Amino acid sequence: MNDLAIETHALHKHYGDIRAVDGLDMHVPRGAVYGFLGRNGAGKTTTIRLLAGLAHASGGEMRVLGLDPRVDSIAILERTGLVIEKMLLPSMTGNDLVRFNRGFFPRWSDALARKYAEVFELDMTRKFKKLSTGNRTKLCLLLALAQGAELLVLDEPTAGMDPVVTDQLLRVMVEDFANEGRTLVLSSHHLSEVERIAEWVGIIDQGKLLLEARLDDMRTNFRRVRVVGEALALAEWPDIVSANTGEGTTEYVVRANADAFAAHLGSQGTTVLDVTPLNLSEIFLEVVGKGKTNVPVEVLA
Amino acid sequence: MIIRVQPGLGVPIYLQIESQVKHAIAAGALKLDNALPSVRKLAAELRVNPNTVARAYQNLERDGILRTVPGGGCYVSSQSPGLLKSEKLRRLRPIAMQLAVEAKQLRLARAELLQLLENSYDDLGEAQ
Repeated sequence: MNDLAIETHALHKHYGDIRAVDGLDMHVPRGAVYGFLGRNGAGKTTTIRLLAGLAHASGGEMRVLGLDPRVDSIAILERTGLVIEKMLLPSMTGNDLVRFNRGFFPRWSDALARKYAEVFELDMTRKFKKLSTGNRTKLCLLLALAQGAELLVLDEPTAGMDPVVTDQLLRVMVEDFANEGRTLVLSSHHLSEVERIAEWVGIIDQGKLLLEARLDDMRTNFRRVRVVGEALALAEWPDIVSANTGEGTTEYVVRANADAFAAHLGSQGTTVLDVTPLNLSEIFLEVVGKGKTNVPVEVLA
Repeated sequence: MIIRVQPGLGVPIYLQIESQVKHAIAAGALKLDNALPSVRKLAAELRVNPNTVARAYQNLERDGILRTVPGGGCYVSSQSPGLLKSEKLRRLRPIAMQLAVEAKQLRLARAELLQLLENSYDDLGEAQ
């Protein structure tokens, strides 16, 4: 059995001239919590739709739970919980939707449905169209969670949720997914949430994966090095991701070997002010921020 | 013992957990044979990935600070980690260097820095 829950190779999806997914190589290990990050329009939702077999790829290879979505979409959906569009049958209540969904999924659990209704403080007798945005999201989550899926894909799960429910949801993700060896793919703009629970991170931009690594490896290797004056041009050291000069100092971001870099600068007579770590949000901005070159960044393991 | 993590710090969360456990032991808040929460429980409380907690516990166990009883939890096994002195010094050297650099930049006298360090050491009391 493959140890990857999701694997894509050179995946493409074109809509006319628009390359929504443009040669995507993605690897989600089984049992991992994977943060799938990107700006709006970067290709996250299109990728998820391709993986679920809800859209047809223009080219490339993919495997979800060892199956090809182009052939085995139904088998994949039986084992995968999906929260993408957050649109359900509008005139059905939560309880109606539970009854409706139960029949489709062999591993459906009513006990889980009740548990999450309580956790999310959901009124299950209310019609879907009468729910607030946050509560619609919660109901979609409840249905995906009660399905007993071994792979759960959540697109912006905490959008529109208040901090108390967000916190509850994080706890659910840790207890019921990370602790159970099930795979969770999570796209979110709330990077501090991702930073808590994700073990792996993939950053997508313009349909390509620019960075895919263990979060701990990213935090261990990425460093900001501040020096007096201007020292090195970008091309003179392989690990430099960016350099910004201003007010008599230059800030380098390196993707690895910060100590060697600082030592090298020191040996050239440059004063190194400090070497500091970057958090996920800072790394994200380095990779896909404005004016960045869209070059894939490799992270040392 | 209450552990708090700050995900946005840039410091790996497993290191944050490790250093807080070490601190609690050094300060006497955790004593020999005290139990720590299980990996699953601590992960759920902190809303962090269980593998992160497991990694912190493994490192602490490797250093002889914790001991895990299979199926029976995790306990403080030693209050002074049984490391070689050279290894202890190797680990502290970067921190000492950072302290020295900061002190120099702030133009703090050598004796004042040493005094500060002595005070901090004494504040932890007799727990060593």
